[in-house]
Amino acid sequence: MTEPLTRTRGESGRVTGSSRRTRRGWSSLLYLVPAFVFYGTFTIAPWVQSVWLSFWEWDGIGAATWAGFENYIKVATDERLVVALRNGLGFIVFYTVFPVILGLLIAAVIAARPRRGSGFVRTVLFLPQILPLVAVGVVWRYLYAADGPINQMLRAVGLGDVARAWLGDFTWAYPAVGVIGTWVTTGLCMMLLLAGIQKIDPSLYEAARLDRCGPVRQFWHVTVPGVRAEIVVAVTVTLISALASFDIVYVTTGGGPGYQTIVPGVLIYKLVFTSNEVGLACALATVLSAIILVFVAVIGRIGRRGA
Amino acid sequence: MQRRTRLVLAPLAAGALLGLGLTACAPGATTTGAGAGTDASTELTTDDITLTLMSTPESGAATEATIAAFETEHPNITIEYSQTNYEDYNQSVNLNLSGDQSPDIVLLNAVANTVKNKLVLPLDDYADLYGWNDFFPANQLNQWRVADDGTTLGDGGALYAAPAGFSLVGTYYNKAIAAELGIEAPTSLAEFEAALKTAKAAGALPVQLGNAEGHAAFVVQLLGQGMSGADTANAWAFGHEGATFDTEANHAAAQTLTDWQKAGYLGDPTTVNGTDLQGAVDNFIGGKGLFLVDGIWDAGKIGEGLGEDAGFLPFPGENTTGIGTSVAYAISTQSEHPNEAAAFLDFLRSPEASEQQFAQGFMPDDPTVAVAEEGTLQGDIVAAWAEIAEADGLVAFNNNATATMNDALKAGTQQLIAGQMSVGDFIASIQADWAAAHAG
Repeated sequence: MTEPLTRTRGESGRVTGSSRRTRRGWSSLLYLVPAFVFYGTFTIAPWVQSVWLSFWEWDGIGAATWAGFENYIKVATDERLVVALRNGLGFIVFYTVFPVILGLLIAAVIAARPRRGSGFVRTVLFLPQILPLVAVGVVWRYLYAADGPINQMLRAVGLGDVARAWLGDFTWAYPAVGVIGTWVTTGLCMMLLLAGIQKIDPSLYEAARLDRCGPVRQFWHVTVPGVRAEIVVAVTVTLISALASFDIVYVTTGGGPGYQTIVPGVLIYKLVFTSNEVGLACALATVLSAIILVFVAVIGRIGRRGA
Repeated sequence: MQRRTRLVLAPLAAGALLGLGLTACAPGATTTGAGAGTDASTELTTDDITLTLMSTPESGAATEATIAAFETEHPNITIEYSQTNYEDYNQSVNLNLSGDQSPDIVLLNAVANTVKNKLVLPLDDYADLYGWNDFFPANQLNQWRVADDGTTLGDGGALYAAPAGFSLVGTYYNKAIAAELGIEAPTSLAEFEAALKTAKAAGALPVQLGNAEGHAAFVVQLLGQGMSGADTANAWAFGHEGATFDTEANHAAAQTLTDWQKAGYLGDPTTVNGTDLQGAVDNFIGGKGLFLVDGIWDAGKIGEGLGEDAGFLPFPGENTTGIGTSVAYAISTQSEHPNEAAAFLDFLRSPEASEQQFAQGFMPDDPTVAVAEEGTLQGDIVAAWAEIAEADGLVAFNNNATATMNDALKAGTQQLIAGQMSVGDFIASIQADWAAAHAG
C-alpha cells in the first residue's frame, strides 16, 4: 500500500504541473469519507436538525408552527432555564476543578514511588468510569438516604446531628450530587495525568534534585508544566460532562428538591418528554452546545498559548 | 489560521445541508387513519383477525388475563399483548400511535396531546351502542371526555377511552398504633388533627410522608377538595375555563400542610423531601407512622407487611372525596378493526374482567364483584370506594391537570415543606402552570 504512494510522490517531485498534486489531495480525502459519513449522519445531521427545530413550536407529533426566535427569548427569560444553566456551570467545580486537582496529586504520588498495590489503587479509582452512570446514581441515592450507609457511619462516630437525607436538603443536595460527579471523573483525570507524567524525561527530575528542589517544588516546576497538554484534555472532557450532565442528576434527585439541582440536560429531557415542547428543548440544547463550544475553544487557546 | 477555519467550516456546512435535506420543511405531519372511516357496530367480523394491545406491567396484569377470557368467547379474534415499563411507555405511546405499526388498542395514562393530534378514536358511538353511559357513574368516564380543544376534560366532551379498573388515593392507618394510643378511625378533619396531636404527644410519628417525588400533593389536594367539594376540584383538574387553584380551600389546605410540618406531625422536612414513596411505604410497614396517604396500588404490599394492623379510610373532610383515575384503554385512529377493538373495551366491564381487576388490586368496573371480608384492608378499601362513589366524591389527579403539573407540584410542595416558599407563592406557582396550559 505504501509502495505506490511513495513512488507517486517521487514522480510528482520531478513532474511540474498541479494536476497530479490535486489528484493526490483528493485520493487522500477519500480515506476520510467513511468516517465522515458516520459523523455526518449520526452527529452533525441530528445537531443541525435540532437547531432547525429550535425555530419551531412543535409538540413532537402534530404540525409545527414557525416560531422564529421566540424559543430563544424564552431560554433567556424563563427563570427555570436560567437556574438550570447556572447549576450546570456550577458543576464545573465538581466535575472539573476538584477531579483535575485530585487526579494530579494522586498521579504524582503514584508516579513518584511506584510500589506494590499502586496498580490496584489505579484500578479502583478508575472503576467509576466504566460503570453506567444510571447505576452510579442508584447506588449513591442509596448511600445518601435518610437511613443509608453514610448517615449510619456519621451516627456511629457520634455525628448524628449532621446526618440527614442529603438529597432532600435544600442546602446540601447540590453539593451532594456534585460529589458524585467528582467521584466519577477523578479516576479519568488521574489516568490521563499519570500517562502524561510517565512520559516526562526523568533527567528533568534529576536536574531538579541536583538544584536541591524538594518533592513540592519538583511537582510545581517539573510535573505540572510537563503534563500541561494532558491537563487541557482532562479539563475539556470533564467540562463537557459537567455542562451536559444528565444521568446522575436525573436518577438521584430529578432536579429537586424544588429546583435546587436542575441542570440543562434534565430540563431538555423534561421539555421533550413531559411537556412536549420540542422546539423550546432544542433551543435550550442549542444554547448549551454553543456555550460548550465557547468553553472548549477558550481552553484550547489557553493550552496552546502556554505550549 | 484562515486555512484551519476553512477546514472546520467545510464539514459543518456539508452537515448543515445534509441536516436540512433530512428535515425537509416543517417538522411533524398529520396522519389520517383507517379506523376513522369504519362505521361503529356491535357486529363483529367472522374472519380470523389479530389485534395488538400495548400496556404497562402494573396496569396490564389484569388485562392479560382478560384477553384470554375474551379470546375464548371470540375464537376468531387474537389479541397480541405487549408491555413496556411506565415511564418508557408514556414517552413512546404517541410515537407508536403515529407510526406505521400502530397498535390497535393502547393504555392511555393521560390525555396529554394524544387527542389533540387525533391519534385515538372518539368512542361515543360505541358508548351508545353498548350502554356504557348507563353502566358507569358519570364521574368515572368524565376523565376521558375531551372537548374540541383537545385539552379541556370532563362532562360534555367526547369519550376517548374506556375504563379497565380504578385506583383510589386515601388514608392508610396503622391499627396497632391507633389502638395503643386509644385513637378511633377519624371521620372528620377535626378528629384527624386530634389524632395527629395525640400521636405526636405520645412520641409516635403522626403522618408518614415521602415527598422526594412530590406525594405531598395528594395531601394538599385531599385537604382542599374536602373543603371545596369534588365538583370545584374536578373543574380545575379538568381545565375548565375560569377555574382557579387560588381558592380559599386550597389556601387553607396548603396552610394546613405547613402547620402540620411546623407542629412536627410530618417529621423532619429534609427527611420528608429526601424519602420517595416506596421508602415511605417501607417506613410505614416498619411501624413508623400512624397515617400514610397513598393509593390502593400499594395495598398489596401494605397488607402483606402490616397484616391485620393495616386499615384504610377515605381522607376525612367536610365532603367525602378521594383521588382516583382509571386504567383506561383507547383505540388507535389507524386500527383496521375498530369494531372488534371496541368489543374488547366493552368486555373490560364484564364480571370475568372485573374479577381480574379486583384480584390485581384495582377497584373493578363492575362493583358487585368487589367482595372482601369486613375489617380486612381489602374490606376497608371496598367500603371507602363505595362511600366515595355514594358521595360522588371521586376527583381526578391534580397532577394530571397539565403535562407539567406533576413537576410543578413536586417542586412546589418540596419548597413549601422546607419553608422555602410561602403558601401564597405556592398557590400562585401552581395556578401559573395551569394558566399556561389552559389559556383561552
